[in-house]
Amino acid sequence: MTTLDTAASQPDTMEAVARVENLSITFRRGALNIQAVRGVSLEVRRGEILGLVGESGSGKSVLGMSLLGLLPGEPAPVTSGAVTVCGKDMLNGSAGLRRAVRRQHLGAVFQDPMTSLNPTMRVGRQVIEAAGSEDEAVRLLRAVGIPDATRRMASFPHELSGGLRQRVMIAMAIAGRPALVIADEPTTALDVMVQAQVLALLRSLRDEIGCSFLMITHDLGVAAQIADRIAVLYAGRIAELGPTATVLHAAAHPYSAALTRSRLSLSSERGRPLVTLPGEVPDPAGPPPGCPFEPRCALARDECSVTMPEPVEVAPGHLSACILPPGEVAAAFAPAPPASRITTLDEAAADVPAAPAGRPASAAAAEPAVAARVQDVAKTFRVKSGRRRVGLQALRGVSLQVAEGESVAIVGESGSGKSTMLRVIAGLERADRGGITLGRGAGPQMVFQDAGASLTPWLTVGALIGERLRHAHLGAAQRGERVEEALAHVGLPAHVARARATQLSGGQRQRVALARATVVPPEVLLCDEPTSALDVSLAAVVLNLVARLRRELGMAVLFVTHDLSVARVVADRIAVMYLGRIVELGPAEQVVASPQHPYTKALVRAVPDLGVTPAALPGEPASPLDPPPGCAFNPRCPVAEPACADPDFLPRLIKLRGEQDRTVACIRAEVN
Amino acid sequence: MIQLIAKRLAAAAVIVLALTAVMFFLQKISPVDPVHAMLGPSASPAAIVAEQKRLGLDRPFLAQYGSYLNGLLHGNLGMSYRTRRPVSTDLGSFLPATAELSVYALIFALILAVILALGSTLRWPGSSVFRLLLIAGASAPAFLLGIVGILIFYSKLGWLPATGRTSVLNPPTGPTGFLTIDGLLHGEPSVTFDAFRHLLMPALAVAAIPAVSIGRVLRSSLIGQMRADYVRTARAKGLTERQVVLGHVLRNSVNAALSMTGLQVGLMFSGVVVIEEIFGWPGIGQYMAQSIPAADFPAISGVTLLLGAGYVAVNTIVDILQAIADPRINA
Repeated sequence: MTTLDTAASQPDTMEAVARVENLSITFRRGALNIQAVRGVSLEVRRGEILGLVGESGSGKSVLGMSLLGLLPGEPAPVTSGAVTVCGKDMLNGSAGLRRAVRRQHLGAVFQDPMTSLNPTMRVGRQVIEAAGSEDEAVRLLRAVGIPDATRRMASFPHELSGGLRQRVMIAMAIAGRPALVIADEPTTALDVMVQAQVLALLRSLRDEIGCSFLMITHDLGVAAQIADRIAVLYAGRIAELGPTATVLHAAAHPYSAALTRSRLSLSSERGRPLVTLPGEVPDPAGPPPGCPFEPRCALARDECSVTMPEPVEVAPGHLSACILPPGEVAAAFAPAPPASRITTLDEAAADVPAAPAGRPASAAAAEPAVAARVQDVAKTFRVKSGRRRVGLQALRGVSLQVAEGESVAIVGESGSGKSTMLRVIAGLERADRGGITLGRGAGPQMVFQDAGASLTPWLTVGALIGERLRHAHLGAAQRGERVEEALAHVGLPAHVARARATQLSGGQRQRVALARATVVPPEVLLCDEPTSALDVSLAAVVLNLVARLRRELGMAVLFVTHDLSVARVVADRIAVMYLGRIVELGPAEQVVASPQHPYTKALVRAVPDLGVTPAALPGEPASPLDPPPGCAFNPRCPVAEPACADPDFLPRLIKLRGEQDRTVACIRAEVN
Repeated sequence: MIQLIAKRLAAAAVIVLALTAVMFFLQKISPVDPVHAMLGPSASPAAIVAEQKRLGLDRPFLAQYGSYLNGLLHGNLGMSYRTRRPVSTDLGSFLPATAELSVYALIFALILAVILALGSTLRWPGSSVFRLLLIAGASAPAFLLGIVGILIFYSKLGWLPATGRTSVLNPPTGPTGFLTIDGLLHGEPSVTFDAFRHLLMPALAVAAIPAVSIGRVLRSSLIGQMRADYVRTARAKGLTERQVVLGHVLRNSVNAALSMTGLQVGLMFSGVVVIEEIFGWPGIGQYMAQSIPAADFPAISGVTLLLGAGYVAVNTIVDILQAIADPRINA
């Protein structure tokens, strides 16, 4: 019905369902003017998926909210330009008009499906609000692949898994066949396997319903999977806009090229420091007068700092906001990155993230000294499920040994027990069974995912770091010196010691967290997803930093991550966990290159990458409340045998034939 | 849910039992000897011994507590020294007046709290007035509001009566003891109207401070919840602002306000005692005011037990309502 309406009244919107013209949005925060969007023009065509890619602070979410007619802020931001959806003014239109457009023509999916659904309302009612009737709501839930949809209508959001919650969000977004769905980082909070499922769902929905998607993401790999065209946003401006393949493989703007290059993938080089983008996004309260990327650009010229380049067409349908000819940019980034601009050669030698060759020579000869040994550790939490108290089996017999100076990555989905394992080693949780043996050095230290939240907001950085020196009986001056030293180690100037965490950027906070952990170098540094909340370019910087600290301070590192490409570059060995057990353990490169366990294989295939269509295992991860008998992976395993589900079968880690240091827990390995 | 309700009820019973133990212990250590109080100063020693035996005061401590509990179960709160009647009979005649005043005060407090919270949170021209009320309201004590109310609405304007529960000479009695309800049940709406006019001022005076406290808590929850992600989702669906606030935000905001309501009910009981004095309200407050100077311990402990049980009951209901409002509590 809506399609007919718009087609009849607005023939010119047949081509574009949404149009943004020279849009500027400025938020007033006290005396500051935060220029979130600065003169952006783009259109979303009917039936296309437009990827909107940018780092945090690029203005991509603000742009999405302006299309929804829901710009936040009190006082309201100052805007200029135009935003139209289906021919209706979403910028200056009345509240009632914008609401009607949202109701009839728009849908939205947001990042965190836990907080984006009303926790006290049954999901059925929430879908009905958008769908209009109960029958339609059930139909939508089925359409987005929710099993047993009729029963799920009565569930509360907390009773669903993350993947199912996001499917509910998508069901609400496509209710009423909208012309355009704004999807703001819809997979960022999800595990890699669920992410692949959701991306596949969005693709198929576009084909079935024919609606357009604006796919807002910080991850080029995600955009590459699904977008027809990509718009790269930088500091509130369009840097580049063009067909997906062109932007990814023949970028005309140095920023898009650098972003593609600094992206971690399963084929990133391990033997050298990760390519990083130096510097940080410009301050939105006072962006430079010239090209906003100029301070970080390897190819910048003098005039770049003077005039702001407008996006111009470099090829049909391909815009770039750079004064350099596209050929020159492509040439500069094509063979090898201009390494000298990124790190000096000396740093390069010291910055190698994973340095298997750099292991002490003695390590190869004799049994290496142990930094941490975990023996058959089990941990069950008592939680409430419905009316009963049940056991959540986080760890179900895990053994792992980390040698001095070694780096081991633990990879797994949420619920695999990987974070519990770190917390048990750190002594934050007590194991029910099994033993933890730590080396003789200083106790372990932890670095957390959310660096902002793990720093006490009212203490200065100096006080936070100095806290760990309490037992060293140092004078104030000496203590200050040690703090300064630790800050210098992580690349922060001494004056940061007087700042508070809230005054620092995300990257700086993660550096402070590292400085706090290493001011007294620990025997083992425990990292719990320290980079998953950071932008691509910052993540690479932090990974390089962890690697350098590890070498300089001689620490072992135990690194928990859900991202295999991170694990691969940061670790000597990878341990893959599923439902509280290690299913595969071996040298990082080999585990990724030739995975042996069916679960590891599925994980590797699900990693989104440029030019690869990831394959996701169907179904939901099994629940640690009720692990399947036998091999816990058997219900999802594509090659499972009846014997795998035998309750008496306990998969043990077995050495792979012909390989010294690779083990896998699979019935097939036992048979062979 | 049923399990949770059972658990809360069991907890409430334990608390009330503990309260009885405290009251019994206080009675034992109080300097007023019940036998002397009952028989008067001129009683003969033999009569005193006989009376002690009759009351079971020669038995062991625990046995006495047992029979005290047994009496409570049968509604026996002892004899009042002052009125020489069973305390339960006295309470039976004073309690309905207080209960009616308290229930209306609580209802007024909740309605006012929601109005104040919504009025000060939503964007409209009058919101600053409501914010001012939330700040200033807490500094007006109940007795002051009562007196000012009498001066304005009774003395000056003559709109509302200033004393008693009703001006009807023979108000219907029973079954609820609430005149506003009994009037309707007996087909006499004029009684209901009259009773309502009488309780309007005292109930509002009692309700004012709890309304402001609950309103403030509700307001801060509302403000926090309005920024939540699910509100953005609701707006993106194209819901109206009214649907967003009433359908989504309010239920997520009531939890802290319910806790505050539970706490305020305790304070409201003490407010009622004062207000009953000011408005000549024939309730438990007046009964207490006469019992305390007379050291009428059975009466005092009876009232205390009753108010304590009422407080526990309200807070049990609050707990259950919180679990209904937020399904995650039960999970």
